[in-house]
Amino acid sequence: MTSPRTASRLNRILTMLPWVIANSGATVTEVCERFGYTRRELVKDLDLVFVCGLPGYGPGDLMVAYVDEDEVVVEMADYFAAPPRLTGTEVLGLLAAGMAVITAGAGTPELESAVSKLRDVVLPDSTEALVVQLPDPPFLPELRELARSHQVASIEYTGLASGETTQRDIEPWAVFSTMGNWYVRAQCRRAESERVFRLDRIRSLTPTGDTFEAPAEVDTTLSYVPGPDDVAATIRLASGARWVTDYYPVEVLDDVPEALTIEFMASDPMVTARLLLRLGAAAELVSGDEVGMALDALRSRLEARYGTGE
Amino acid sequence: MQKVLERLLNLLAFLLTVDRPVTADEIRMTVAGYDRSSDEAFRRMFERDKDLLRGLGVPLELSATDAWEVEYGYVIPEDAYTLPDPGLTDEERVALALASQAVRLGGEAMESGAILKLGGAPGVAAGEPLAADLGATASLGDVFAAVSERRMLRFPYRDSERHVSPYGVIHRRGRWYLVAEDSGTVKAFRLDRMGDVALSGSPGVVERPPDFDLATAVPEAPWEAGPDDETARVVFDAEVAWWARRQLGSGVEISEASDGSVTAEIPVRNRDAFIGWILGFDDSAELLGPPDLRSALIERVRGTT
Repeated sequence: MTSPRTASRLNRILTMLPWVIANSGATVTEVCERFGYTRRELVKDLDLVFVCGLPGYGPGDLMVAYVDEDEVVVEMADYFAAPPRLTGTEVLGLLAAGMAVITAGAGTPELESAVSKLRDVVLPDSTEALVVQLPDPPFLPELRELARSHQVASIEYTGLASGETTQRDIEPWAVFSTMGNWYVRAQCRRAESERVFRLDRIRSLTPTGDTFEAPAEVDTTLSYVPGPDDVAATIRLASGARWVTDYYPVEVLDDVPEALTIEFMASDPMVTARLLLRLGAAAELVSGDEVGMALDALRSRLEARYGTGE
Repeated sequence: MQKVLERLLNLLAFLLTVDRPVTADEIRMTVAGYDRSSDEAFRRMFERDKDLLRGLGVPLELSATDAWEVEYGYVIPEDAYTLPDPGLTDEERVALALASQAVRLGGEAMESGAILKLGGAPGVAAGEPLAADLGATASLGDVFAAVSERRMLRFPYRDSERHVSPYGVIHRRGRWYLVAEDSGTVKAFRLDRMGDVALSGSPGVVERPPDFDLATAVPEAPWEAGPDDETARVVFDAEVAWWARRQLGSGVEISEASDGSVTAEIPVRNRDAFIGWILGFDDSAELLGPPDLRSALIERVRGTT
């Protein structure tokens, strides 16, 4: 019966009332815009407030709340003259969001002063007790600007899996950071399809002078869509390697305390092979011939380099 | 939902005005909405209502109703219901609202409820095409609350129970860390490796050393934290030299040969993480020494470790 919807509706009532009390004469339009109400929703919430109040619940005990002409009127509700406090998660969320945007170079003077005011209130003795750092790869400011102004960029890019360096024109739709790296989602004119590029793998960048139309909605998550040529492998992970499931979109086939068995998909078997070698004894290839062959090839190359081959 | 909301508003109005701890029985008898319910129905309803209010940030505490401590009742301590007003302008509220649209903690977009508590934000237009997901763990809110209230924290970590003095929370390399004093030593704990956390003791007990610097308390690279202490010498071939330089940062000594390859002297404190990173270069990098670190890498390649 009590759902997240009940909680957010109650939160909106408990935050709207103090504002109306502090700003007498507030209009319906002002309140709606500020608290994200439609007129109908606002009237419904005011009607609800009107039948609530203090024990006794007679005319002198209930709150008064209604719309008069275009003015929102709230009376006899002084105990709701202040909003509920922010939870730990909410404070952290707001501060971290502000600090992340500032770190990304997209802060405004208003955002900086908002973060500093909020920090003074919630961390009065230790304003330095929260730090948000995002990596600062080359071309981040340039790409942000190009994405904002819808300008095409020519980039030199070295693929993470292939190690191949290519030159391509991209239409940068949105720049985003996740799991400790920056990415740009773009239309790649060379591949004639949507691609995600990691900023720290971009070697050079020049605007071409061309502009483009960006889609209305851009996905800013790192969603992995398996391709038809992807290579699958079944891998058993010991406890030291369980983090793999947090970093790669894998399917968990079996989960027992001693080991986690996953299906790992990659566009290139060498990606999986390198991961297996990195994990060492904590991971075991259960099945996947192509990956097995890639792993053998990788081992031979490294043994040749280190002069330890048979 | 209507009846539930009415009951919650009545309950909160009562608790905010009554000025003394009130027992569940008194609430049941006094507050409109609980009357005419059976014992069991009341108990369930009241539990849900308490959870919902606490989830919204209402500090609903249990306290003795008199000096003999025979009975306990619910109370919202004076001044604890609301936060001191940070005095934001509307422009500042809009800037914060825009930032919280751009930044996610874990997959979920942030609730707008927090901005409403600060007075709402009028006229938030679409922001620039920029987004960041800082990731999240279940304990993040509690850990941060402990830091801001300067309270001790208890949690299981790597098979042992810790009881620490939190100094700060830092997001770096895509992860959240708690920096805390644990039995005399300042350590960094990864939040995603903590078990259930519990705040302990009273607020204000944790004293942070005046010269404490959170930004330097967590190492920059994964191989800079650990029990080992050695300097690795690595040669990176010309075609990956740019990538090595970008990842190593400024603190590392790098010399370039005429063929474009570079040799770097890298401090290593975590062998395992370091070998993993070098192997990511495939055969375009070679760990030259020290000899036993090189042997450890070779053993990893052979699959004997």
